[in-house]
Amino acid sequence: MKKNYLDNPGSLKIDLMLRGTRIDDPVVKAWACGASGVDIMLPQNTLVNIPCSEMFTEESPYVIKKSGDGYIITDGTGTVPVSLVPKPKYYSLKTSTGVPFSKIGVFHGSYTVITPSPRCDFFNRGIECRYCAGNFDVRGVENQVYSVEEVLETVAAVLKEGASGIIYLSTGFSPGPDGGIEFLKPYIKAIKKRHNCLVAVETLPPKEDRWIDETYALGADSVLYNLEIFDKELFEFLCPGREKLIGRKRYMDALEHAAKIFPNGTVASHLIVGLEPPGSTCMGIDFLTGIGVVPILPIYRPSTDRALRIGPLTTEIIIPVYKHLYKKVKINKINFKWVRDLSMVTTPLEVRALVDVNEGAKNSIIENFYKSKIGLKTAWGLSTLRRKLRVKDSRDPSDSSGRE
Amino acid sequence: MSVEIDTRPIWIILALKSLRPLFFLLLAVLFWYFINMPSPAGLTPAGQNAIAVFLLCLVLWVSNAVPLAITSIFAIVLVPLLGILTKKETYALFGNEAVFFILGAFILAGAVMHSGLSNRIALNIIGKFGGSPRRLLLSVFLLAAVLSFFMSEHAVAAMLFPMLLELSKSLKLRPGRSNYGKFLFLALAWGCVIGGVATFLGGARVPLAMGILKETTGATIGFLEYTVAVLPLVVILLAVGFALLMILYPIDVAGVENAGEVVEKRLKGLGKMSFGEYSVGIILLLTIIGWISMGRTLGLAAVALSSVVVLFVLGIVRWKDIEEYVNWGIILMYGGAIILGSALDKSGAAAWIINGVIGRWSGSPWTVFAIVSLLTIFLTEAMSHAAVIAVLLPVVIGISGKMSVDPSIMTYSVATPAGLAFILPMSTPANALAVSSNYITVRDMAKGGLIMVIVSWVLFNLMAAFYWPLIGIGRLR
Ligand code: SF4
Repeated sequence: MKKNYLDNPGSLKIDLMLRGTRIDDPVVKAWACGASGVDIMLPQNTLVNIPCSEMFTEESPYVIKKSGDGYIITDGTGTVPVSLVPKPKYYSLKTSTGVPFSKIGVFHGSYTVITPSPRCDFFNRGIECRYCAGNFDVRGVENQVYSVEEVLETVAAVLKEGASGIIYLSTGFSPGPDGGIEFLKPYIKAIKKRHNCLVAVETLPPKEDRWIDETYALGADSVLYNLEIFDKELFEFLCPGREKLIGRKRYMDALEHAAKIFPNGTVASHLIVGLEPPGSTCMGIDFLTGIGVVPILPIYRPSTDRALRIGPLTTEIIIPVYKHLYKKVKINKINFKWVRDLSMVTTPLEVRALVDVNEGAKNSIIENFYKSKIGLKTAWGLSTLRRKLRVKDSRDPSDSSGRE
Repeated sequence: MSVEIDTRPIWIILALKSLRPLFFLLLAVLFWYFINMPSPAGLTPAGQNAIAVFLLCLVLWVSNAVPLAITSIFAIVLVPLLGILTKKETYALFGNEAVFFILGAFILAGAVMHSGLSNRIALNIIGKFGGSPRRLLLSVFLLAAVLSFFMSEHAVAAMLFPMLLELSKSLKLRPGRSNYGKFLFLALAWGCVIGGVATFLGGARVPLAMGILKETTGATIGFLEYTVAVLPLVVILLAVGFALLMILYPIDVAGVENAGEVVEKRLKGLGKMSFGEYSVGIILLLTIIGWISMGRTLGLAAVALSSVVVLFVLGIVRWKDIEEYVNWGIILMYGGAIILGSALDKSGAAAWIINGVIGRWSGSPWTVFAIVSLLTIFLTEAMSHAAVIAVLLPVVIGISGKMSVDPSIMTYSVATPAGLAFILPMSTPANALAVSSNYITVRDMAKGGLIMVIVSWVLFNLMAAFYWPLIGIGRLR
């Protein structure tokens, strides 16, 4: 029997991300033009980026339609009211050097992702991850690096508009022991100096733990080392560069160390759903939550030339994985409020209503507070205070000023 | 940047942070009480204040509650403020020879490091003696000690300091964290201190003591006689010191032999010795010769500073290159400590302590010997070695006359322990330089130093009791 997911925004989000939607409205079509997905707000403020390329959505039961003044999504058996998420205003603006802000900062809901350099050295060595979406797929690009000033202008525009409260800086693989943090250092420092906002950093795991300490000391409020695949053999096959030059064990060790350094709930790692059996993803969830790391489960979105998705992959199969995630995060007492309102992934918070209907609305006052402007400022203030208390500069013990 | 993250629960960190103001408040109350309580008999109010300031600084230095230099500056402010010394006297004391010796040592070390010579020497040392991490440490320890037999221990410390800094860099040791780094710099300090008491040549204090002895009694102690009397203590202390360091700081580097290939590669990479290295090397060599031949007459500082002037006159280094190597914090710390030592001396506080302690415990010659040596060892941590001898020895020689004990034996009880300063960095330039490396903290130095001081005192007294009679130095009992 065909399942109906329209009643629950969490499961509907998963189903939509897996199957995509067709578009039966010229305005939405124009809206989604050129993009691989369209940002839609489902009930209960659940943000989703739904794949809408024709190739992907041929067999999808879902259609977005105009209904009165608003929009609905229907699967033929029922409907849910949805709204289009307007593109941030800053998307239409440019930096003083003439670069469109939309090229530098990509809006993903609570996060705006900035990748100052599109370069990932795995490509130059022919050992790139086989599923790589291509954000970094620019071979040999040497000069396309956004300057600190350009990034700062983008961040200022994002924050002024209130588009996102968290700036997510990421970088691809670069040779060197630091995992890429040295490259991101001037960006993090400048953002932290100029703006009172939270910064999440995604790099590759550095060779030594001291770089992780430094990442925290620099001002990163959250860190991500994305393992992506938990299964050992599949990791070796799908991520040849990561396996060869970093190693799965180093990912695990680095995440474990980071979880001891960063506050609870601010260390995360992606496990891509759809590239390995769900059982293996669940083992990954067990491992990560066991060491205090929040697993983030994006669903693999295949492109034409990379049909790596395992089959069959249905929402019925995936939902238990997300439920498992929610339970494990709760059991291990990991704060999952940091990872929320993301259009590209279903967060533990969104799965909560699937597991426990009563819990669904319980924390909403606190959650809403942290979504608000004043809440974000509070989170930033607490994070900064915590860093001030915990970071000790061990350069000059004789010059200590009484730090315990 | 080298950072450390405190991973203790936030509430513990917060609680500890709030202890800080409480600590200062308690210290202020105790200090206030101490300077306002009625002066004990025989102690002048200035002397009482000097002791109070000294104790306050001691707590601040050891606890590291404020930077070392700031504690010293605080002492410089308090000494005239509390009427211990006049303003003029206080600030003039900062111009002490030892302060300028340390300044000269930093500049010379900076020149040696900047030229790349220290790097070359350090790599060669690792190559020659670095068969194992322990062998390398032992080599440094013995080198510092044996060189201090023949020249001023301060000069030896100044000479080896840049090589050790370079060595630590080559071995990628983390300042403040690496056990090996701590071991290395304590080996330098302790090697110099222990070696420095072996002969008349280790420093000015033994000749000064001999001078006082001769002036007051006409008796003398010969170079060989002194060395024969003290050498066993030096040998045992070297063994104990090395063993203690092995226990306190277990070696945490996998093996310096791995560095062998790296050393070879890097030495090759350095190429031939440059003109700058030759020039600095020659000046360093001349400085060492100057320290040995003219150190006594001209003073170590004058020799060091003359070399510094030559370096600049010949354009071998520029101030810009050297500036970063001068650790002004340590210089300030040392200057303040000298002022404090003089305050204890000139206010009569030191004499009060000496008379009080010796008077109370002087039951027999043996107890006087033991007490005097203990007192010397602790006073030398706070005062310059020469000042301790100048204050203590005349009193001790006077007592020995009353007790019909050979004054030359009692002279040993001051002259030798006056060099055994292990606890505080402000007690001797070798310790100050070691702490300025940032590999060890005051607490690290005090921890091992306290044990060494106790061991030294016990061994020194055992030696006086059982070994000296065998070589014909009179019995105490
Ligand atoms: S690390 Fe892998 S996924 Fe990331 S950019 Fe490089 S190739 Fe792509």
